[in-house]
Formats: sequence, structure tokens, C-alpha cells
Amino acid sequence: MTATTAPEAALGVLPRADGSAKYSHAGYIVTASVNGPIEAQRRDEHPYEAHVDVIVRPAAGVGGTRERHLESILQSSLAQIILVRNFPRSLIQIVLQVEHSPENDYVNTKLVQANLNFAIMPALFQTAVLALLSAGVPMKATATATAVALSHQDGSKRTIVDPSPREVETAQSVHVLAFTSHDELLLAESEGDFTVKEWDDVYETASKVCCQSALQKEGIAMVLDDEDAGGPAMRHFLRSTMESKVAADLHWK
Amino acid sequence: MATNERLFVLPGETIDPSLIPTHKKHPLRLGPGLRHIPPSDIVPTVAGQLITNPLKNSMWVEYNSHRYIPSQGDIILAQILRSTTDFYLCSIAPYSAPATLPHLAFESATKKTRPQLAPGSLVYARVSLANRHMDPELECVNPSTGKADGLGPITGNGCVFDVSLGFARRLLMARSREDGGVGVLEMLGGEEGGGLAFETAAGRNGKVWVGSESPRTVVIVGRALQETDKGGLGIEEQRRLVKRLVKEMR
Repeated sequence: MTATTAPEAALGVLPRADGSAKYSHAGYIVTASVNGPIEAQRRDEHPYEAHVDVIVRPAAGVGGTRERHLESILQSSLAQIILVRNFPRSLIQIVLQVEHSPENDYVNTKLVQANLNFAIMPALFQTAVLALLSAGVPMKATATATAVALSHQDGSKRTIVDPSPREVETAQSVHVLAFTSHDELLLAESEGDFTVKEWDDVYETASKVCCQSALQKEGIAMVLDDEDAGGPAMRHFLRSTMESKVAADLHWK
Repeated sequence: MATNERLFVLPGETIDPSLIPTHKKHPLRLGPGLRHIPPSDIVPTVAGQLITNPLKNSMWVEYNSHRYIPSQGDIILAQILRSTTDFYLCSIAPYSAPATLPHLAFESATKKTRPQLAPGSLVYARVSLANRHMDPELECVNPSTGKADGLGPITGNGCVFDVSLGFARRLLMARSREDGGVGVLEMLGGEEGGGLAFETAAGRNGKVWVGSESPRTVVIVGRALQETDKGGLGIEEQRRLVKRLVKEMR
């Protein structure tokens, strides 16, 4: 199962939320809503900065420890790019609902138990960033994320961008990396066995996917095949999505 | 408005220094959506259109959103939540921190003669204090003249409709038809709407009060506003919408 489809997004899908986004990529479909800055509960209040609350809801079942883990990772990286100091004592609530995740063709999985893994992180992260932009929450920078799997097959190494569930299962290690629009590493989570050299390779691959602007991408695509360029140019995608949203909002200008 | 450049920006992008206006006398003024990082960086914080005004030496990012963030001097439509000994607590946006409206911040209000407002009643007010570390404060009187200037409790039959913040700003423009491209209200009161009689009060917080003696008129006007906002209608489409609504609701 090779789900290397181009990412797609729709903004403002939920009428009552301050901002919302629906994002689909590599077989994952995630809807996010963002509300904020709103009044925080007494125990969440911070005197100098906004509290960022991330809630991950799986496609089936209720969230468990895995979801809490993903939430905590997302929370700490999103709080880095949101200008939390602009809104002391308030709350910015991000709810991520997984609607669909790709199935593993080799294992008979019954969709009754929440079963999230690392490969979904980029989709969650990207949806959250799009929903934040749609809500107009002030941010320091935008960010893009990608997942990279390393697998050893017949003695040769293979780097897979946006791995499928089967590839995640057979991979030696899975990595999730996110970069801000200033090319800074925002999030790096890894799972499995790998060497420092391998991680450096993963970093190179991920930064290519996340940080390439449209022009460079086109230049490469002309020389190489699309597949070799490794995944879509996420930054270009984010920009064009937001550009069309703003153009629709400001049609009267 | 003297604007020429239509540039799309994302948070954190660098703004080309040639786009930043300069002026001999006025200092540079930054509007919403921009932040200044000392010493000399100006960085957008939201996705939108960068707009510069060389005459006033100001720049800001134009964007649409739903969550109102109070800023001083804005005219808003607030709802009284409850009263305390010295002030009313008002809701300016759902789930946002409540704003305070002092009992004495009304025209010719004294300790003995102050307006008695029940929870749920509406006031058209100005934001007199907006500070991120404090709850916002409202007033219904001009503090220098003591006059209401059109602010105060809203009375009469009517209904509040929610619109997006961008649409509310367009309604509040001095020439909303020419600059903002909103003509529904004129049309409803004019020839296309068959001369409906109604009054409105638009607040920057994305709330519009529509008042009229006839409930039918209130519904027509409210629906026309909301559909214009949601559908992003142009002047000609607005005219068609008004005609259709008036015909349907006969």
C-alpha cells in the first residue's frame, strides 16, 4: 500500500469554532478545531502566558495513554510557535479528531480499539497548524512536519517518507520531525534502533520535505523523478492553502 | 485608503524593507497582525494581506477571524451577565473573559440615578481599557464631554445576529458600500427591499443588533447580513439576495 497522495486541506469547515481545518495526507484524515484565546479554568491559568490545550480523539474508541503521549508532544511544540505571552491567563484549545487512518493490509485489524502510532503525528501537527492559522491565533512562525521511516531490506537501507502502517511495522526506526518556517528544528521524536549517522540522514530527508520552497522543488522535479524528491513540498502547500483562504476572505478589497 | 501593495504574508515571514513606509513627520504605526522585534524587525503574526498606508505611515495585516480580541476604542455590542456593587460584568464574546462596565459610565449617571440593567440586556459600548494582563473595561459615555454619542443600553424589539469580525468591520466603515462592498442594509431600506423600516447597531466583536417593530423585518435583515457574510457576496449578488428574501418572506 503506497499512499503517497498529495496533501489536501479545507479551512473553516466547522461553522461555530473560531478556526478549523480538515487535512488529508498519506491515508490519514484529521479534522481540527481551534478556540481561543478564551477564558481558562482556574487551575489552567498561567499569570504570564496562555495555556495551550491539545486534545487528540482517535477514529474509534476513547483515547488512552497513547493519545495522552501524542497530546503532550504536540502541546509542547505548538506552544513554542504560538505567541502565548500575548494572552496571559487565557486558554487556546485545539481539538484534533482523527477521522480515518490507513489500514494495515497484512494484519486483520478490527477498528474497535484506539490504535495510534507515530506515523500519524505529521497529520495531527499539520492540521493543528492549519487550524491555528485559520483561527488567526498570533504565531511566531508557521511549521511543517513529516514522518520518516528507516528500514533494512536484504542488507540495503531504505528511507521512506510518510510510511504506511505496514512500513512502520517492518521499519527499524520511525522518526517524526517538524521545522518552523525559519528552518529551525521544532520537534524530533524517534522510535526504534538507529545510529547517529542514520539520524543525520533522516534529518536531511525531513528538512528537504519540510523546508523546501516551491521554486527549489520545481527545479529538482525537472531533474529527478517525483519519487526521488521524496514527498510533497509541505511549505509550499501550507502557503498556497492559506493564500486561497485569505483571498476568499478579502474578496471585497 | 491609500493602499497599493497587495501582499500575502504568513506568520514569521520577513517583510521586504522596501515595503515598510517611511514618513518625515509621523512615526511608523503598526496595526493588528504585526509585531515589532527590537531593534528593527517587523514580523507578521497572522496569515493575511499586508496593507500599508504611506500617508499615515501605518501598516497592518488584514485578515478575517471569529474570536474578538478587545482593543482600546473599539465600539462593541456587549451583553450584561450580572451586576456587582460597582459595575456590570458583560460578555463580549462567548467563553472570553468578561468585561467590566462601571455603573457610572453612562450618560448623566450618578450614584442615585444609574441605569438598572437586567442580566441579558444589551449595551452598545466603547472599550475604554484593553490590557492583556487585565479584564477589558467598557464605557457608554464620552469621558471628556459626558455625552453618550449614541452609546448606551439598547432598547426596543430586535435580535442579535453573529457575523465574522471582518464583516463587522466592513459594516462599521464610514462608506461601507464603496470601501467595504456591503450594500445590503441600504438595499433593504431602499428600493430593492421595498423600504423596510429597521435600525441596526454593529459591534466590532462580530455582533449586529437588528431592531424593528415587525419580527419579519428583523428576520429578513438578519438573514441577509449573515448570508452576505457567509457567502462572500458581491454588490450584485447582494441585490439578488435581498430581492429573493423579501419575496420569500412575504
